[in-house]
Amino acid sequence: MTFLAPFFLAAGAGIAALVVALHFISTREPATVPLPTARFAPDRPVRARSRAFRPSDLLLLFCRAGVVLCAGAALAQPIVSPTRRPLARIVVADRSRAVASPAEVADSARGLLLSGDALVLFDSAATRVSSDSLGAIQRVDAKGNLSAGLVEALRAAVSLWDQSDSLELVLVSPFLAEEVDQATDSIRALWPGAIRLVRVGVRRDSQAVAVMALEGSADDPLRWALPPLNGAGSADVRIVRGTGVPSDSGWASLSGRTLVLWPAIPAPYGSGAGDSSGAVVADEIVVVAPFERLGMPQASPASRTVARWMDGTPAATETAHGAGCIRSVAIPVPAVGDLVLDPRFQRLAARLTSPCGWTPSSPPLDSARLAALGGPLGRRVVASSVPRPLAIRSPMTPWLLGAALLLGLGELALRRRPGLPAEA
Amino acid sequence: MRQLSSGALLDSIRGVHWPAPRVVGGAIQGSHRSRRVGSSPEFMEYRPYQQGDDPSKIDWKLFGRTERVAIRLAHDDSSLRTMVLVDASASMAFPAGSFDKWELAASVALGLAAIAHGDGDPVGVAIVGGGGIRSIPPRTRRGTVANVLQLLLDTVPSGSQALAPVLNTLKGSRRVAIVSDFLGDAEALLEGGRELVAAGCSVHAVHVVAAEELDPRGLGDVVNDPEDSALKRPLDSAALPEYAAAFTAWRTGLAARCRAAGVSYLLANTAESPERVVRRVVAPLAATVPS
Repeated sequence: MTFLAPFFLAAGAGIAALVVALHFISTREPATVPLPTARFAPDRPVRARSRAFRPSDLLLLFCRAGVVLCAGAALAQPIVSPTRRPLARIVVADRSRAVASPAEVADSARGLLLSGDALVLFDSAATRVSSDSLGAIQRVDAKGNLSAGLVEALRAAVSLWDQSDSLELVLVSPFLAEEVDQATDSIRALWPGAIRLVRVGVRRDSQAVAVMALEGSADDPLRWALPPLNGAGSADVRIVRGTGVPSDSGWASLSGRTLVLWPAIPAPYGSGAGDSSGAVVADEIVVVAPFERLGMPQASPASRTVARWMDGTPAATETAHGAGCIRSVAIPVPAVGDLVLDPRFQRLAARLTSPCGWTPSSPPLDSARLAALGGPLGRRVVASSVPRPLAIRSPMTPWLLGAALLLGLGELALRRRPGLPAEA
Repeated sequence: MRQLSSGALLDSIRGVHWPAPRVVGGAIQGSHRSRRVGSSPEFMEYRPYQQGDDPSKIDWKLFGRTERVAIRLAHDDSSLRTMVLVDASASMAFPAGSFDKWELAASVALGLAAIAHGDGDPVGVAIVGGGGIRSIPPRTRRGTVANVLQLLLDTVPSGSQALAPVLNTLKGSRRVAIVSDFLGDAEALLEGGRELVAAGCSVHAVHVVAAEELDPRGLGDVVNDPEDSALKRPLDSAALPEYAAAFTAWRTGLAARCRAAGVSYLLANTAESPERVVRRVVAPLAATVPS
């Protein structure tokens, strides 16, 4: 047990000793003798001090000394130091939308976590949870933020400074570029040692396409731009290479479903003039190619543009439809040439055939950024180098103050009890 | 109270008289010289007859010899209605256990009553305290002294009843003796005594003081008033000189005020014998009584 302010304990012990001494130096009233002419004696206090060989009132002495000692101990803020371990880990686990499998994250974290280690889950924000929460990790449909996770990890490190000799920070994440922002490097620099990086599977676009069904001809060139389609009747995304039928609209009104109307032969654009040197932009994806620019189907005012031609006109729009959505795409897929094999076009196709509200994952961090994030290998952080928390609260302080209060009330009751000897 | 009941005091004061300090005006026959012109055989003088004199008082033999009409005057004796007022408050029960103050006061009261009774004066006693007021009215019959003794023996001093109201009821008495420590209502007693003196009564104040009150060394470091439990005072070695000075000043002042009021004051110390105190009360007056 250590004391944050041991001076108060010493002061309390000193005052308690003084209280005990005062009980030995008691002030008593000498025996009174009747004297009819007592009125002629000088009018002065009749108490006299005498030294006793035993304390005058043991119960009262106990209460008084107890009040002082408890108050002193409470102000000294005793801390019961836990048994120090050689190593404590802070596991920062990613549960953002980039994570392919929360179970994989949980397994990875579980393999690292020991009793007393800290677990931090982060998506766009971070929170510290108990190790028991590992089994209940759910993916959050939000962009991950490594900075938030690192900040929470630093806080957790402060709380573990007195529990281990060294600290290890472990990041469990797909480490996508979208999870790094401009503050990440600065926050990373606050961790004085290495960070152990555990990479988990990224939520790939194919996973969204895995539940995708394409209703078109077998030699549709769009098939080459998309990953192998394995969706059937249970698909969440249905790609219709036409204008769709009422049954498609009804299907798309259910929750979580996306109907992609991507006509194989879109309506002519304007007078049917081509766009011989155009480009399509969807978020950060830019595909430059001599598209045969065709017309955009009529869209409702509530539509949201998800892809634009280089002159700003919509190339793909998205409209909420019931609990699902309908996405209309007016980008022709050339049947000749190798554009469908271009990774940029494939990412564009994946973006346009992704479920509504889902932004395809950004590219993973390159090796240089990963190395910078991890820092020097094998370098753990000595716990004493972690700054102590600014405000350490002693869990025993309220109890000690309560005990002092109770003893004080007891002392008051004892002093008021009848038959108390005349004593200061 | 063994001394009181043993009879030694009464034996020792047998034959002692308590004469009146001056000529009294009582009409009852007694042993004290009266202002009245009486018919006793002790000739005093002749006075010319005046209108209104009783013709039967004319000395016709003198008229036959000298042809002067004169009245024969003779001394007359009168008795003194005497009351002894005794303080039996709690302050008289001191020192605890021996009650020397009360024993002295009771002995002095009994002695004075016995002397007055022996002089043929009607004598009574009023005891204030000890649970109330108990009294024996003035009378001359035999057994009065025994009744007074029994009343005193039955009294245990306690309480703090005032004496002055009782003193004010004794205005029919011609002689009053107050036996008290005057620690209660001294000023009221003095006022009552002054009124009695003005009415022609002789008042004697016997101030009973215990030897321990005069010199309380070794009594204790803290003392309290038996009639006022809230009054506690230190009486250690440092306080003794202040106590002695204050007590002496009070006694001196009390004696001076008594004499100024015409009240005979006598300090009675428990170190003295009751017989001596009684003789001191009556002896000076006996020496000055007109013959």
